[in-house]
Amino acid sequence: MNAISVDGLTRTYLGGYQALKGVSFSVAKGDFTAIMGPSGCGKSTLLNILGLLDRPTGGKYLLEGAETARLDDAEITALRRSRIGFVFQAFNLLPRLSALENVALPMAYAGAEVDERRARARELLTRVGLGAKVENTPLQLSGGERQRVGIARALANKPALLLADEPTGNLDSKSSVEILALFKELNAEGMTVVLVTHDPAIGAAAGKVIRIKDGLLA
Amino acid sequence: MNLREAFRAGSREIIANKFRSALSFTAVSVGVASLLYTMAQTRGMEEALEKNLELMGPGRMTVEAKQNYVSKGLSSGLTYSDVLALRRELPDLYMVEPRSAYSSTLVAGRSKIDDVDVWGTTPDFRRRDWVYRLRGRFLNEWDVENRARVVVLIEPAGWVKKPFWAKFWMHDDPYDDFAKRHDLLGESVRLENSIFTVVGVLTPPARDKDPRWESWNTANALVPITVFQQSFTRFSNNPDSVDEIRIDTGDVKTLAARRKQISAILTRRHRGEEDFEIRDEREAIEAKMEDMKKMVKAGLALGIVALLAGGIGIMNVTLATIFARVREIGIRRAIGAGRSDILAQFLLEAALLGAAGGVAGVALGLVGVQWLSGLAGSREIAKITWLHCAEGIALASLVSAAFAFIPAYRASRLDPVEALKAE
Repeated sequence: MNAISVDGLTRTYLGGYQALKGVSFSVAKGDFTAIMGPSGCGKSTLLNILGLLDRPTGGKYLLEGAETARLDDAEITALRRSRIGFVFQAFNLLPRLSALENVALPMAYAGAEVDERRARARELLTRVGLGAKVENTPLQLSGGERQRVGIARALANKPALLLADEPTGNLDSKSSVEILALFKELNAEGMTVVLVTHDPAIGAAAGKVIRIKDGLLA
Repeated sequence: MNLREAFRAGSREIIANKFRSALSFTAVSVGVASLLYTMAQTRGMEEALEKNLELMGPGRMTVEAKQNYVSKGLSSGLTYSDVLALRRELPDLYMVEPRSAYSSTLVAGRSKIDDVDVWGTTPDFRRRDWVYRLRGRFLNEWDVENRARVVVLIEPAGWVKKPFWAKFWMHDDPYDDFAKRHDLLGESVRLENSIFTVVGVLTPPARDKDPRWESWNTANALVPITVFQQSFTRFSNNPDSVDEIRIDTGDVKTLAARRKQISAILTRRHRGEEDFEIRDEREAIEAKMEDMKKMVKAGLALGIVALLAGGIGIMNVTLATIFARVREIGIRRAIGAGRSDILAQFLLEAALLGAAGGVAGVALGLVGVQWLSGLAGSREIAKITWLHCAEGIALASLVSAAFAFIPAYRASRLDPVEALKAE
């Protein structure tokens, strides 16, 4: 069973702009896939659909073999919460919360107990190399460290799929290398990773590259 | 999302935006304060009404000369004989007290005091208004029948805690001044041109503890009505006349029936002239309560308007908060928050803000009620209970949450992708 399977995926925005014009591919469990392409080609739109933040206008999207089109918002949210971890280019951490609280937040929405959440958040932060900075707020962390918090947060609810949108886009080259290494480690442990990137180095590191141009596979 | 966490997150937001929060809950707190004051008033009024009716007597009425009545010359007006006749014909009346007032000069030792209010009355005076403490003895039937030249003095009432206005507004009464410094019990004093023996002294309760409505309406000296008629020069050409007759049937049920009988007896005695008026004191007190209730209703309206204004303020703040935190909403949605989580978060934040306003309002209300009841003078009308405070706070948070619903609902419907793009 594939982790992701999309067939003839389209996405048309209000006003008629077509970001995706029929994309089909699949991602096997444990794959490390990079989606690459020029700006505005529709790769972020694709990632949002894969991450269940957005819905396709047409086509099929099967997540772990299950059709997602007919699910209502609550079901989509539950699926997103439990099966998908999202890593953003701009980190998107909540500035008033500490690293630990940021990582624990998805577990709070999943209904986990406070102690359990804190223990797991601490464990995850240690895993990404931030065991000493759990009480720091995002503003007290460097870019690379923030992205590590972002990754730890994405892993909070033990997702099946880790999605990343230009995870190294806001980082210097040293941090980029470290973050990439972290993704590779996670993939080696069995995590399915799909990331959108401009960076050819990341593309080269990925096991599989999906190239998109003007809303179609290139 | 557990409640404690949402609670903590909410309070953190409120504290982070102190100014905005303070602005929005000011109106709420004014609303709560005025509602609290209103509730306190209502409760206090009920107690005051009961206490007053009890003190005044359940079947109280007052007979007085009809205003602007031109006599046909048949009636000789209200007289002490009327009192005696009523006593004779309606022996079950609890109280029939004649009363006449005169402003006299009192001479005690070397002191001469003008404008001393003297009332002529009978022992029935003591049947109602049981607020006095008596030293010595009161006037008795023998005094009245034998025209004994005895007087009972009423001491000036003090304050437990003097309200600030009393310092400016109250003029110094020469009698009060004198009576405070001299104990005249057992002494002889001169009123007008007669010598009286002070047989008793009545001490009223402190003014701010006096439960009576018209506690200021008291005399300085009480003498037997018969002596009063003899000794004090009156403008009336009838030596037996009295100013008014105060009656208590002893039971509210008999009030209406007795009133008719009394009217009939007096009309007959006045040879068909209805030159008197019978005022039902209960009606009067209830009319007064009606007036006060109108004021309370105005307070209630003010409270509701302020609370609504506060609610709209909260709505505005919630809108502003949400506008400033669209990105946060996007992030929360992306990491697994459902629409209901977002809705709950903002509702809770608004409720917390409202509760904070409620607490401020209760504080304001408590101070305000203290101040206002000081302003209103002697009577402690307002009564605040803990329940009122709790209700006020609950109401404030409820109203705030209700008003925050529309903005919070809109926030929960935001498209996560669009929200994440916001700056």
